Amino acid sequence: MTDQGIDPAFEAVLRRRLRNLPAETPLDPTAPLTDLGLDSMEAVELVFDIEDELGVALPDDTLTGDTFATARSLGAVVDRVRSEPTSSPS
Amino acid sequence: MTATAVPRPAAGGLDDLRSRVAAVRPVLRNQARAVDASAAFPVAGLTALRESGLLGLLVPARYGGLGGDLTDLVRVAADLAADCLSTAMIWAMHGQQVAALVAYATPELRAELLPRVAAGEVYLASVTSERGKGGHLLTAEAALHRDGDLLRVERDAPIVTGGRHADGFLITMRDGPQAPRSAVSLVYADRTALDVRASGSWNPMGMRGTHSGALRLTGTVPLANLVGAPGGFRTVAVSTFAPVGHLAWSACWLGAARAAYGTVLHLLRSNAGRRQFDIRSDLLRVRLARVRLDLDTTAALLARCLRDVRDAGDLTAPAVQLRLNGLKVHAAERSFAVVDTLVELTGLRHGYLRDAPLALERVFRDLRSASLNYGNDRLLLANGALTLLDRGVDLGEERW
Ligand SMILES: Cc1cc2nc3c(=O)[nH]c(=O)nc-3n(C[C@H](O)[C@H](O)[C@H](O)COP(=O)(O)OP(=O)(O)OC[C@H]3O[C@@H](n4cnc5c(N)ncnc54)[C@H](O)[C@@H]3O)c2cc1C
Repeated sequence: MTDQGIDPAFEAVLRRRLRNLPAETPLDPTAPLTDLGLDSMEAVELVFDIEDELGVALPDDTLTGDTFATARSLGAVVDRVRSEPTSSPS
Repeated sequence: MTATAVPRPAAGGLDDLRSRVAAVRPVLRNQARAVDASAAFPVAGLTALRESGLLGLLVPARYGGLGGDLTDLVRVAADLAADCLSTAMIWAMHGQQVAALVAYATPELRAELLPRVAAGEVYLASVTSERGKGGHLLTAEAALHRDGDLLRVERDAPIVTGGRHADGFLITMRDGPQAPRSAVSLVYADRTALDVRASGSWNPMGMRGTHSGALRLTGTVPLANLVGAPGGFRTVAVSTFAPVGHLAWSACWLGAARAAYGTVLHLLRSNAGRRQFDIRSDLLRVRLARVRLDLDTTAALLARCLRDVRDAGDLTAPAVQLRLNGLKVHAAERSFAVVDTLVELTGLRHGYLRDAPLALERVFRDLRSASLNYGNDRLLLANGALTLLDRGVDLGEERW
């Protein structure tokens, strides 16, 4: 994610888990993700989607309510983890 | 086990304890596989424990110990068990002996022995099992013989964890040749006071590092080495020896099962694991949930029993005895079930092969001993009788 907006690949992954967000509606980066349909179970699946499709493994200590608050907050964490020197999760 | 609002001991403190444990754990981790393969006593692990001060965890500060409490004991036991369950049980059983000495040894024996325990010079072994009576804690066959101020000990000990390496032994004996089998005395014997003959081999399924082979102990000790009243081991057992044993052993088993679960979660979430396992599988998720529930219920019962021992004035109350016995049974059963499920879940390559990095196979064999290490059947029979005395079904709710 940049100041300009949300990384399209990230948005595509995220959107699939936002049941209440119609495909044609733009994603508001500051809208609460819970309002857009992300419940706690979907959030777990989203973590795995991000791992599988974006190749970003979010550490356990980032998996908080603050991280999953909005597209912006989650995108920021994904960007931060992505830019850190990669350490294999194994 | 996370930190709870339990008062900390003045000496040491939680950070100090953590660093002592951290110094020991790599030694245990490096040694665990070899100790299991050769069924050899973990000498390096015990040396590290001696140097760490942890042999004196429960020794009061006035005797040079760390002045720790039972919460410290179970935390450390669970942590050590994550790396090597055999070494953790060796240490936990030592702690059980120390607790009995602190509570019941004569002033002379305390003054002489506890500073040496605190200094790491004395590792204590336990002799309660006996041929003929099997595991039964509250009876004894071999009798003490009194000779003035001296006690003569002659004892066959069929299974003594660390017996060949111990510096001292706490031994249950019949109080005298005329005493009934139920008149059990607990007596301390320094290794230097004993002729220690080892017999037979030690080649068990698991817990191989405990090196719990048979011994014959012969020697003479001062009368002041009686721990508790003559024939009074029942009191020692009910108030200290059994509760501390159940807490410490359960913590070891839980710690080993928790660590095994943790390594499996790391595998599932690793790159390699993500390729091999379908973490969206309902079957896998239900299994993970069940295992976690076993860990949580065991931890909850453990925490509850810690509170019972700390706060309940009367440990002989049926409801308290039921929980303390139940903890041992439950921890033994569920810890083993946890690792059994993990073997099923991870499959042959990770779960069943001896050389698999996860070491589930070793922990599985180790934990199979838990139900036998003071027989679950014995405790369930006792609990079955006790339940009939508690018609009100006291679940301790006044302290929920
Ligand atoms: C790893 C390990 C380390 C140990 N270390 C020590 C040690 O350091 N010191 C020590 O003294 N002991 C030690 N023990 C021994 C342990 O505490 C038990 O005493 C021992 O395992 C019991 O052996 P057992 O199952 O043959 O005997 P028992 O407990 O006598 O049981 C034999 C059989 O009878 C059944 N049974 C038991 N009681 C009854 C009953 N009342 N009615 C009907 N059936 C019954 C049991 O289920 C079992 O099938 C250790 C054991 C293990 C596994």
